Amino acid sequence: MPDNKKSTCNEKAFDQFFKSNSKLLRNYIYYKFGDLDQAEDIVQDAFIKLWNNCSKVPLNKAKSYIYTIATNIGISNTRHQKVKFKYKDYIIHRTRDVNNESPEFIFLEKEYLEKLKNAIADLSERQREVFLLNRIDKKTYKEIAELSGVSVKAIEKLMHKALLTLRKKIGNNI
Amino acid sequence: MLNDKKDDIFLSRWMNKELSKEEIQEFKLHPEYKHYIKIIAGADALDLKKYDIEKELSNLKSKKQDPIKNKPNLVIKFLPYLTIAASIVIILGIFLFNPNTSFHSNYGEQLTVTLPDGSEMILNAKSTASFNTKKWKENRILVLDGEAFFKVKKGSKFTVNTKNGKISVLGTQFNVQSQNDFFEVTCYEGKVTIAYQKQVEILTAGKGYRNLKNIQPKSWSFIDTTPSWLSNTSSFKSIPLKYVFKELEEQYNLQIKTVNIDLETIYTGTFPNNNKDIALKTVFNTLGIEYRISQDDGKTVILE
Repeated sequence: MPDNKKSTCNEKAFDQFFKSNSKLLRNYIYYKFGDLDQAEDIVQDAFIKLWNNCSKVPLNKAKSYIYTIATNIGISNTRHQKVKFKYKDYIIHRTRDVNNESPEFIFLEKEYLEKLKNAIADLSERQREVFLLNRIDKKTYKEIAELSGVSVKAIEKLMHKALLTLRKKIGNNI
Repeated sequence: MLNDKKDDIFLSRWMNKELSKEEIQEFKLHPEYKHYIKIIAGADALDLKKYDIEKELSNLKSKKQDPIKNKPNLVIKFLPYLTIAASIVIILGIFLFNPNTSFHSNYGEQLTVTLPDGSEMILNAKSTASFNTKKWKENRILVLDGEAFFKVKKGSKFTVNTKNGKISVLGTQFNVQSQNDFFEVTCYEGKVTIAYQKQVEILTAGKGYRNLKNIQPKSWSFIDTTPSWLSNTSSFKSIPLKYVFKELEEQYNLQIKTVNIDLETIYTGTFPNNNKDIALKTVFNTLGIEYRISQDDGKTVILE
Protein backbone atom coordinates (compact mmCIF):
# COMPACT_ATOMS: atom_id res chain seq x y z
CA MET A 1 0.00 0.00 0.00
CA PRO A 2 1.92 2.99 -1.21
CA ASP A 3 -0.47 5.64 0.08
CA ASN A 4 -2.23 4.68 3.26
CA LYS A 5 -4.81 7.44 3.01
CA LYS A 6 -6.14 6.03 -0.22
CA SER A 7 -6.48 2.54 1.20
CA THR A 8 -9.96 1.26 1.92
CA CYS A 9 -8.54 -0.11 5.17
CA ASN A 10 -7.92 3.39 6.41
CA GLU A 11 -10.79 3.94 8.81
CA LYS A 12 -11.26 7.60 7.98
CA ALA A 13 -11.25 6.93 4.27
CA PHE A 14 -13.69 4.08 4.78
CA ASP A 15 -16.07 6.23 6.84
CA GLN A 16 -15.91 8.99 4.27
CA PHE A 17 -16.64 6.48 1.55
CA PHE A 18 -19.60 5.14 3.50
CA LYS A 19 -21.03 8.60 4.06
CA SER A 20 -20.88 9.56 0.42
CA ASN A 21 -22.14 6.28 -1.03
CA SER A 22 -24.41 4.46 1.38
CA LYS A 23 -27.59 6.44 0.80
CA LEU A 24 -27.62 6.12 -2.96
CA LEU A 25 -26.75 2.44 -2.72
CA ARG A 26 -29.64 1.90 -0.31
CA ASN A 27 -32.05 3.68 -2.67
CA TYR A 28 -30.72 1.83 -5.70
CA ILE A 29 -31.15 -1.56 -3.98
CA TYR A 30 -34.61 -0.53 -2.82
CA TYR A 31 -35.73 0.40 -6.34
CA LYS A 32 -34.37 -2.91 -7.58
CA PHE A 33 -35.73 -5.26 -4.93
CA GLY A 34 -38.65 -3.34 -3.47
CA ASP A 35 -38.00 -3.48 0.29
CA LEU A 36 -36.37 -0.50 1.95
CA ASP A 37 -35.61 -2.16 5.31
CA GLN A 38 -34.05 -5.08 3.56
CA ALA A 39 -32.10 -2.66 1.37
CA GLU A 40 -30.61 -1.06 4.48
CA ASP A 41 -29.51 -4.48 5.75
CA ILE A 42 -27.99 -5.26 2.39
CA VAL A 43 -26.06 -1.99 2.49
CA GLN A 44 -24.67 -2.97 5.88
CA ASP A 45 -23.65 -6.40 4.63
CA ALA A 46 -22.05 -5.00 1.49
CA PHE A 47 -19.97 -2.50 3.45
CA ILE A 48 -18.91 -5.14 5.96
CA LYS A 49 -17.74 -7.26 3.09
CA LEU A 50 -15.84 -4.31 1.71
CA TRP A 51 -14.20 -3.76 5.09
CA ASN A 52 -13.22 -7.40 5.39
CA ASN A 53 -11.65 -7.30 1.96
CA CYS A 54 -10.31 -3.76 2.21
CA SER A 55 -6.78 -4.80 1.41
CA LYS A 56 -7.89 -6.33 -1.88
CA VAL A 57 -10.26 -3.57 -3.00
CA PRO A 58 -8.66 -0.17 -3.67
CA LEU A 59 -10.79 2.86 -2.96
CA ASN A 60 -11.28 3.71 -6.64
CA LYS A 61 -12.80 0.27 -7.23
CA ALA A 62 -14.83 0.24 -4.02
CA LYS A 63 -17.93 1.81 -5.49
CA SER A 64 -18.49 -0.75 -8.20
CA TYR A 65 -17.53 -3.42 -5.66
CA ILE A 66 -20.30 -2.49 -3.20
CA TYR A 67 -22.87 -2.17 -6.00
CA THR A 68 -21.99 -5.62 -7.29
CA ILE A 69 -21.98 -7.19 -3.83
CA ALA A 70 -25.25 -5.53 -2.81
CA THR A 71 -26.96 -6.53 -6.05
CA ASN A 72 -25.80 -10.11 -5.62
CA ILE A 73 -27.08 -10.26 -2.04
CA GLY A 74 -30.38 -8.81 -3.23
CA ILE A 75 -30.65 -11.41 -5.98
CA SER A 76 -29.86 -14.30 -3.66
CA ASN A 77 -32.37 -12.96 -1.12
CA THR A 78 -35.17 -12.78 -3.67
CA ARG A 79 -34.22 -15.73 -5.82
CA HIS A 80 -37.14 -17.81 -4.68
CA GLN A 81 -39.86 -15.26 -4.63
CA LYS A 82 -40.94 -12.38 -6.76
CA VAL A 83 -41.08 -9.48 -4.35
CA LYS A 84 -43.67 -6.82 -4.93
CA PHE A 85 -42.36 -3.30 -4.75
CA LYS A 86 -43.37 -1.96 -1.36
CA TYR A 87 -43.99 1.77 -1.15
CA LYS A 88 -46.27 2.22 1.85
CA ASP A 89 -44.24 3.76 4.70
CA TYR A 90 -41.20 3.93 2.44
CA ILE A 91 -42.14 6.58 -0.07
CA ILE A 92 -43.23 9.73 1.69
CA HIS A 93 -44.50 13.08 0.49
CA ARG A 94 -42.00 15.82 0.47
CA THR A 95 -43.08 18.40 3.01
CA ARG A 96 -43.90 21.67 1.42
CA ASP A 97 -45.65 24.90 2.20
CA VAL A 98 -49.34 24.12 1.72
CA ASN A 99 -50.78 27.27 3.20
CA ASN A 100 -52.01 28.80 0.00
CA GLU A 101 -53.55 25.63 -1.33
CA SER A 102 -57.23 24.85 -0.95
CA PRO A 103 -58.23 21.75 1.06
CA GLU A 104 -59.73 20.08 -2.02
CA PHE A 105 -56.53 20.56 -3.89
CA ILE A 106 -54.55 18.97 -1.06
CA PHE A 107 -56.98 16.07 -0.97
CA LEU A 108 -56.82 15.65 -4.73
CA GLU A 109 -53.08 15.87 -4.59
CA LYS A 110 -52.95 13.16 -1.95
CA GLU A 111 -55.20 10.94 -3.99
CA TYR A 112 -53.14 11.58 -7.05
CA LEU A 113 -49.89 10.83 -5.29
CA GLU A 114 -51.29 7.49 -4.05
CA LYS A 115 -52.21 6.64 -7.63
CA LEU A 116 -48.79 7.66 -8.83
CA LYS A 117 -46.99 5.57 -6.18
CA ASN A 118 -49.12 2.62 -7.10
CA ALA A 119 -48.26 3.09 -10.75
CA ILE A 120 -44.55 3.34 -9.91
CA ALA A 121 -44.79 0.09 -7.96
CA ASP A 122 -46.19 -1.58 -11.05
CA LEU A 123 -43.34 -0.45 -13.30
CA SER A 124 -40.82 -3.01 -14.41
CA GLU A 125 -37.74 -3.17 -12.21
CA ARG A 126 -35.48 -1.46 -14.75
CA GLN A 127 -37.99 1.31 -15.57
CA ARG A 128 -38.64 2.03 -11.91
CA GLU A 129 -34.94 2.07 -11.11
CA VAL A 130 -34.24 4.66 -13.81
CA PHE A 131 -37.31 6.79 -13.11
CA LEU A 132 -36.78 7.01 -9.34
CA LEU A 133 -33.01 7.48 -9.49
CA ASN A 134 -33.68 10.40 -11.79
CA ARG A 135 -36.64 11.95 -9.96
CA ILE A 136 -35.88 11.21 -6.30
CA ASP A 137 -32.10 11.04 -6.29
CA LYS A 138 -31.73 13.62 -9.07
CA LYS A 139 -29.23 11.47 -10.91
CA THR A 140 -28.45 12.32 -14.52
CA TYR A 141 -28.89 9.71 -17.23
CA LYS A 142 -25.14 9.43 -17.43
CA GLU A 143 -24.78 8.71 -13.72
CA ILE A 144 -27.57 6.14 -13.84
CA ALA A 145 -25.96 4.53 -16.87
CA GLU A 146 -22.69 4.20 -14.94
CA LEU A 147 -24.41 2.68 -11.92
CA SER A 148 -26.28 0.09 -13.94
CA GLY A 149 -23.47 -0.53 -16.38
CA VAL A 150 -25.47 0.24 -19.52
CA SER A 151 -25.41 2.98 -22.16
CA VAL A 152 -27.00 6.41 -21.73
CA LYS A 153 -29.19 5.63 -24.72
CA ALA A 154 -30.59 2.58 -22.95
CA ILE A 155 -31.40 4.72 -19.92
CA GLU A 156 -33.17 7.28 -22.10
CA LYS A 157 -35.28 4.58 -23.70
CA LEU A 158 -36.18 3.14 -20.31
CA MET A 159 -37.16 6.56 -19.05
CA HIS A 160 -39.36 7.25 -22.05
CA LYS A 161 -41.07 3.88 -21.59
CA ALA A 162 -41.46 4.44 -17.85
CA LEU A 163 -43.30 7.69 -18.47
CA LEU A 164 -45.58 6.12 -21.07
CA THR A 165 -46.38 3.27 -18.67
CA LEU A 166 -47.12 5.62 -15.79
CA ARG A 167 -49.33 7.78 -17.98
CA LYS A 168 -51.30 4.75 -19.11
CA LYS A 169 -51.67 3.44 -15.58
CA ILE A 170 -52.83 6.71 -14.04
CA GLY A 171 -55.53 7.34 -16.60
CA ASN A 172 -57.43 10.54 -17.29
CA ASN A 173 -59.15 11.49 -14.03
CA ILE A 174 -56.88 14.00 -12.54
CA MET B 1 -43.70 12.77 -31.20
CA LEU B 2 -45.14 10.76 -28.31
CA ASN B 3 -46.10 7.78 -30.38
CA ASP B 4 -43.39 8.25 -32.89
CA LYS B 5 -41.67 4.88 -33.19
CA LYS B 6 -38.48 6.58 -34.33
CA ASP B 7 -38.26 8.90 -31.34
CA ASP B 8 -38.34 6.48 -28.46
CA ILE B 9 -36.55 8.86 -26.13
CA PHE B 10 -38.73 11.91 -26.67
CA LEU B 11 -40.03 12.05 -23.10
CA SER B 12 -36.55 11.46 -21.73
CA ARG B 13 -35.25 14.38 -23.69
CA TRP B 14 -38.17 16.49 -22.54
CA MET B 15 -37.48 15.67 -18.91
CA ASN B 16 -33.84 16.44 -19.38
CA LYS B 17 -34.75 19.74 -21.06
CA GLU B 18 -33.10 18.69 -24.27
CA LEU B 19 -36.04 19.48 -26.56
CA SER B 20 -35.72 22.25 -29.11
CA LYS B 21 -37.95 25.32 -28.83
CA GLU B 22 -40.14 24.05 -31.64
CA GLU B 23 -40.53 20.65 -30.02
CA ILE B 24 -41.48 22.26 -26.70
CA GLN B 25 -44.04 24.53 -28.38
CA GLU B 26 -45.59 21.59 -30.14
CA PHE B 27 -45.64 19.40 -27.01
CA LYS B 28 -47.29 22.10 -24.92
CA LEU B 29 -50.24 22.11 -27.29
CA HIS B 30 -50.56 18.37 -27.10
CA PRO B 31 -53.49 17.14 -24.89
CA GLU B 32 -51.14 14.71 -23.13
CA TYR B 33 -48.78 17.46 -22.04
CA LYS B 34 -50.63 18.34 -18.80
CA HIS B 35 -50.70 14.68 -17.77
CA TYR B 36 -46.94 14.36 -18.04
CA ILE B 37 -46.40 17.64 -16.24
CA LYS B 38 -48.49 16.27 -13.41
CA ILE B 39 -46.60 12.98 -13.28
CA ILE B 40 -43.28 14.78 -13.02
CA ALA B 41 -44.65 17.23 -10.44
CA GLY B 42 -46.09 14.34 -8.46
CA ALA B 43 -42.87 12.32 -8.65
CA ASP B 44 -40.89 15.33 -7.52
CA ALA B 45 -43.17 15.60 -4.51
CA LEU B 46 -42.15 12.11 -3.44
CA ASP B 47 -39.25 11.25 -1.23
CA LEU B 48 -37.94 8.19 0.54
CA LYS B 49 -37.98 7.56 4.22
CA LYS B 50 -35.05 9.31 5.84
CA TYR B 51 -31.71 7.57 5.84
CA ASP B 52 -29.71 8.26 8.97
CA ILE B 53 -26.18 7.96 7.68
CA GLU B 54 -24.52 8.50 11.07
CA LYS B 55 -26.67 5.85 12.72
CA GLU B 56 -26.07 3.39 9.93
CA LEU B 57 -22.36 4.01 10.15
CA SER B 58 -22.29 3.37 13.88
CA ASN B 59 -24.34 0.21 13.32
CA LEU B 60 -21.79 -0.85 10.79
CA LYS B 61 -18.95 -0.17 13.22
CA SER B 62 -20.54 -2.30 15.93
CA LYS B 63 -20.92 -5.11 13.40
CA LYS B 64 -17.32 -4.71 12.34
CA GLN B 65 -16.26 -5.32 15.91
CA ASP B 66 -18.40 -8.40 16.26
CA PRO B 67 -16.06 -11.12 15.07
CA ILE B 68 -18.80 -13.63 14.27
CA LYS B 69 -20.86 -11.37 12.06
CA ASN B 70 -17.79 -9.57 10.94
CA LYS B 71 -15.96 -12.52 9.49
CA PRO B 72 -18.33 -15.05 8.03
CA ASN B 73 -15.52 -16.13 5.73
CA LEU B 74 -13.42 -17.16 8.67
CA VAL B 75 -16.12 -19.43 10.02
CA ILE B 76 -16.46 -21.15 6.69
CA LYS B 77 -12.71 -21.55 6.44
CA PHE B 78 -12.61 -23.20 9.85
CA LEU B 79 -15.36 -25.65 9.02
CA PRO B 80 -13.13 -28.28 7.38
CA TYR B 81 -10.92 -28.30 10.45
CA LEU B 82 -13.95 -28.50 12.68
CA THR B 83 -15.28 -31.52 10.84
CA ILE B 84 -11.90 -33.25 11.14
CA ALA B 85 -11.76 -32.42 14.84
CA ALA B 86 -15.30 -33.66 15.30
CA SER B 87 -14.59 -36.97 13.58
CA ILE B 88 -11.47 -37.45 15.72
CA VAL B 89 -13.54 -36.90 18.83
CA ILE B 90 -16.12 -39.41 17.64
CA ILE B 91 -13.48 -42.03 16.73
CA LEU B 92 -11.71 -41.54 20.05
CA GLY B 93 -15.07 -41.85 21.72
CA ILE B 94 -15.66 -45.23 20.12
CA PHE B 95 -12.25 -46.60 21.03
CA LEU B 96 -11.43 -44.96 24.31
CA PHE B 97 -14.66 -44.90 26.18
CA ASN B 98 -15.96 -48.17 27.42
CA PRO B 99 -19.33 -49.05 26.00
CA ASN B 100 -20.38 -49.73 29.56
CA THR B 101 -24.05 -49.66 30.26
CA SER B 102 -25.00 -48.69 33.74
CA PHE B 103 -28.31 -48.88 35.57
CA HIS B 104 -29.08 -47.10 38.76
CA SER B 105 -32.16 -47.22 40.94
CA ASN B 106 -32.95 -44.41 43.33
CA TYR B 107 -34.55 -44.38 46.77
CA GLY B 108 -37.55 -46.68 46.91
CA GLU B 109 -37.21 -47.61 43.26
CA GLN B 110 -37.05 -51.00 41.61
CA LEU B 111 -35.64 -51.37 38.16
CA THR B 112 -36.14 -54.38 35.92
CA VAL B 113 -33.44 -54.77 33.31
CA THR B 114 -33.35 -57.30 30.51
CA LEU B 115 -29.73 -58.12 29.80
CA PRO B 116 -28.47 -58.61 26.22
CA ASP B 117 -28.83 -62.42 26.41
CA GLY B 118 -32.39 -62.23 27.72
CA SER B 119 -31.44 -62.76 31.35
CA GLU B 120 -33.33 -60.60 33.77
CA MET B 121 -32.03 -58.40 36.51
CA ILE B 122 -34.23 -56.58 39.01
CA LEU B 123 -32.47 -53.86 40.95
CA ASN B 124 -33.70 -53.03 44.43
CA ALA B 125 -33.66 -49.47 45.77
CA LYS B 126 -30.41 -47.48 45.66
CA SER B 127 -28.47 -49.99 43.61
CA THR B 128 -26.17 -49.72 40.65
CA ALA B 129 -25.25 -52.35 38.09
CA SER B 130 -23.01 -51.90 35.09
CA PHE B 131 -21.77 -54.17 32.34
CA ASN B 132 -20.09 -54.10 28.98
CA THR B 133 -22.70 -54.58 26.27
CA LYS B 134 -20.14 -55.31 23.57
CA LYS B 135 -18.39 -58.11 25.41
CA TRP B 136 -21.56 -59.51 26.93
CA LYS B 137 -21.79 -62.36 24.42
CA GLU B 138 -18.31 -63.64 25.31
CA ASN B 139 -18.42 -63.20 29.04
CA ARG B 140 -21.45 -62.30 31.00
CA ILE B 141 -19.86 -60.16 33.67
CA LEU B 142 -21.68 -57.55 35.65
CA VAL B 143 -20.62 -55.27 38.46
CA LEU B 144 -23.12 -54.71 41.22
CA ASP B 145 -23.31 -52.37 44.16
CA GLY B 146 -26.54 -52.83 46.07
CA GLU B 147 -29.14 -55.52 45.80
CA ALA B 148 -30.43 -57.32 42.76
CA PHE B 149 -32.30 -60.44 41.83
CA PHE B 150 -31.15 -62.35 38.78
CA LYS B 151 -32.94 -64.79 36.53
CA VAL B 152 -30.11 -66.07 34.39
CA LYS B 153 -30.72 -67.73 31.04
CA LYS B 154 -28.76 -70.93 30.55
CA GLY B 155 -25.53 -70.40 28.71
CA SER B 156 -21.95 -69.46 29.41
CA LYS B 157 -20.76 -68.48 32.84
CA PHE B 158 -22.65 -65.58 34.33
CA THR B 159 -20.67 -63.60 36.86
CA VAL B 160 -21.71 -60.89 39.27
CA ASN B 161 -18.76 -58.96 40.64
CA THR B 162 -19.17 -57.15 43.90
CA LYS B 163 -16.52 -55.77 46.13
CA ASN B 164 -17.47 -58.40 48.71
CA GLY B 165 -17.15 -61.36 46.40
CA LYS B 166 -17.83 -62.88 43.08
CA ILE B 167 -20.92 -64.96 42.27
CA SER B 168 -20.83 -67.25 39.27
CA VAL B 169 -23.60 -69.35 37.82
CA LEU B 170 -24.52 -71.15 34.67
CA GLY B 171 -28.24 -70.53 34.69
CA THR B 172 -30.30 -69.94 37.75
CA GLN B 173 -32.18 -67.45 39.84
CA PHE B 174 -30.46 -65.76 42.68
CA ASN B 175 -30.38 -62.62 44.75
CA VAL B 176 -27.27 -60.65 45.59
CA GLN B 177 -27.04 -57.96 48.19
CA SER B 178 -23.71 -56.26 48.51
CA GLN B 179 -23.54 -52.94 50.31
CA ASN B 180 -20.38 -51.77 52.01
CA ASP B 181 -19.66 -54.58 54.45
CA PHE B 182 -22.95 -56.37 53.96
CA PHE B 183 -22.92 -59.33 51.63
CA GLU B 184 -25.75 -61.78 51.14
CA VAL B 185 -26.54 -64.18 48.34
CA THR B 186 -29.65 -66.30 48.17
CA CYS B 187 -30.18 -68.94 45.52
CA TYR B 188 -33.70 -69.66 44.29
CA GLU B 189 -32.97 -72.06 41.47
CA GLY B 190 -29.98 -73.98 40.16
CA LYS B 191 -26.58 -73.61 41.67
CA VAL B 192 -24.45 -70.61 42.57
CA THR B 193 -20.75 -70.36 43.25
CA ILE B 194 -19.53 -67.61 45.52
CA ALA B 195 -15.86 -66.76 45.60
CA TYR B 196 -14.74 -64.44 48.33
CA GLN B 197 -11.09 -63.97 49.07
CA LYS B 198 -9.93 -67.56 49.08
CA GLN B 199 -13.18 -69.11 50.19
CA VAL B 200 -15.53 -70.74 47.79
CA GLU B 201 -19.16 -71.41 48.73
CA ILE B 202 -21.57 -73.38 46.63
CA LEU B 203 -25.24 -72.62 47.12
CA THR B 204 -28.01 -74.84 45.86
CA ALA B 205 -31.63 -73.79 45.46
CA GLY B 206 -33.23 -72.69 48.72
CA LYS B 207 -29.93 -71.85 50.35
CA GLY B 208 -28.60 -68.49 51.42
CA TYR B 209 -25.16 -67.23 52.33
CA ARG B 210 -24.32 -64.15 54.31
CA ASN B 211 -21.04 -62.54 55.18
CA LEU B 212 -21.18 -59.58 57.54
CA LYS B 213 -18.39 -57.68 59.13
CA ASN B 214 -17.58 -58.92 62.62
CA ILE B 215 -19.93 -61.87 62.27
CA GLN B 216 -19.03 -65.35 61.15
CA PRO B 217 -20.20 -66.14 57.63
CA LYS B 218 -23.21 -68.35 57.75
CA SER B 219 -25.50 -70.32 55.51
CA TRP B 220 -29.19 -71.02 55.94
CA SER B 221 -32.12 -72.54 54.17
CA PHE B 222 -35.42 -70.97 53.08
CA ILE B 223 -38.48 -71.94 51.14
CA ASP B 224 -39.37 -68.75 49.30
CA THR B 225 -39.17 -68.84 45.50
CA THR B 226 -38.39 -65.17 45.01
CA PRO B 227 -36.85 -62.56 47.29
CA SER B 228 -39.48 -60.80 49.37
CA TRP B 229 -38.49 -57.33 48.10
CA LEU B 230 -39.83 -58.24 44.69
CA SER B 231 -43.26 -58.19 46.30
CA ASN B 232 -42.47 -54.91 48.04
CA THR B 233 -41.48 -56.35 51.36
CA SER B 234 -38.09 -56.15 52.97
CA SER B 235 -37.44 -59.10 55.21
CA PHE B 236 -34.64 -59.70 57.63
CA LYS B 237 -33.53 -62.78 59.40
CA SER B 238 -31.13 -62.38 62.31
CA ILE B 239 -29.58 -59.26 60.92
CA PRO B 240 -27.94 -56.45 62.89
CA LEU B 241 -30.23 -53.47 63.22
CA LYS B 242 -27.94 -51.12 61.29
CA TYR B 243 -28.66 -53.00 58.06
CA VAL B 244 -32.39 -52.81 58.70
CA PHE B 245 -32.12 -49.07 59.20
CA LYS B 246 -30.04 -48.80 56.06
CA GLU B 247 -32.72 -50.59 54.08
CA LEU B 248 -35.40 -48.32 55.56
CA GLU B 249 -33.35 -45.29 54.53
CA GLU B 250 -32.89 -46.59 51.01
CA GLN B 251 -36.49 -47.55 50.46
CA TYR B 252 -37.99 -44.32 51.74
CA ASN B 253 -35.17 -41.80 51.28
CA LEU B 254 -34.92 -41.20 55.03
CA GLN B 255 -32.19 -40.24 57.43
CA ILE B 256 -32.41 -42.20 60.66
CA LYS B 257 -30.69 -40.47 63.56
CA THR B 258 -29.64 -43.03 66.08
CA VAL B 259 -28.63 -42.06 69.59
CA ASN B 260 -28.16 -44.52 72.41
CA ILE B 261 -29.25 -47.48 70.32
CA ASP B 262 -27.23 -50.63 69.92
CA LEU B 263 -27.01 -50.99 66.19
CA GLU B 264 -25.68 -54.49 66.49
CA THR B 265 -28.96 -55.75 67.99
CA ILE B 266 -30.11 -58.72 65.96
CA TYR B 267 -33.41 -58.21 64.21
CA THR B 268 -35.79 -60.56 62.49
CA GLY B 269 -38.84 -59.20 60.75
CA THR B 270 -40.25 -57.55 57.67
CA PHE B 271 -41.50 -54.17 56.56
CA PRO B 272 -43.42 -53.07 53.45
CA ASN B 273 -41.62 -51.04 50.81
CA ASN B 274 -44.68 -49.11 49.75
CA ASN B 275 -46.03 -47.63 52.95
CA LYS B 276 -43.69 -45.50 54.97
CA ASP B 277 -45.90 -45.11 58.05
CA ILE B 278 -46.55 -48.83 58.39
CA ALA B 279 -42.91 -49.63 57.71
CA LEU B 280 -41.66 -47.27 60.41
CA LYS B 281 -44.33 -48.47 62.86
CA THR B 282 -43.55 -52.14 62.28
CA VAL B 283 -39.85 -51.76 62.76
CA PHE B 284 -39.79 -49.39 65.70
CA ASN B 285 -42.82 -50.72 67.58
CA THR B 286 -41.44 -54.24 67.64
CA LEU B 287 -38.17 -52.83 68.93
CA GLY B 288 -39.98 -50.71 71.50
CA ILE B 289 -38.39 -47.52 70.16
CA GLU B 290 -40.23 -44.19 70.09
CA TYR B 291 -39.73 -42.19 66.90
CA ARG B 292 -40.84 -39.03 65.18
CA ILE B 293 -40.25 -37.52 61.76
CA SER B 294 -38.56 -34.14 61.77
CA GLN B 295 -40.86 -31.30 60.70
CA ASP B 296 -38.04 -29.48 58.94
CA ASP B 297 -37.52 -31.68 55.92
CA GLY B 298 -39.86 -34.61 56.51
CA LYS B 299 -36.90 -36.88 55.89
CA THR B 300 -35.16 -37.17 59.20
CA VAL B 301 -36.37 -39.79 61.65
CA ILE B 302 -35.43 -39.01 65.21
CA LEU B 303 -35.34 -41.91 67.65
CA GLU B 304 -35.93 -41.30 71.34
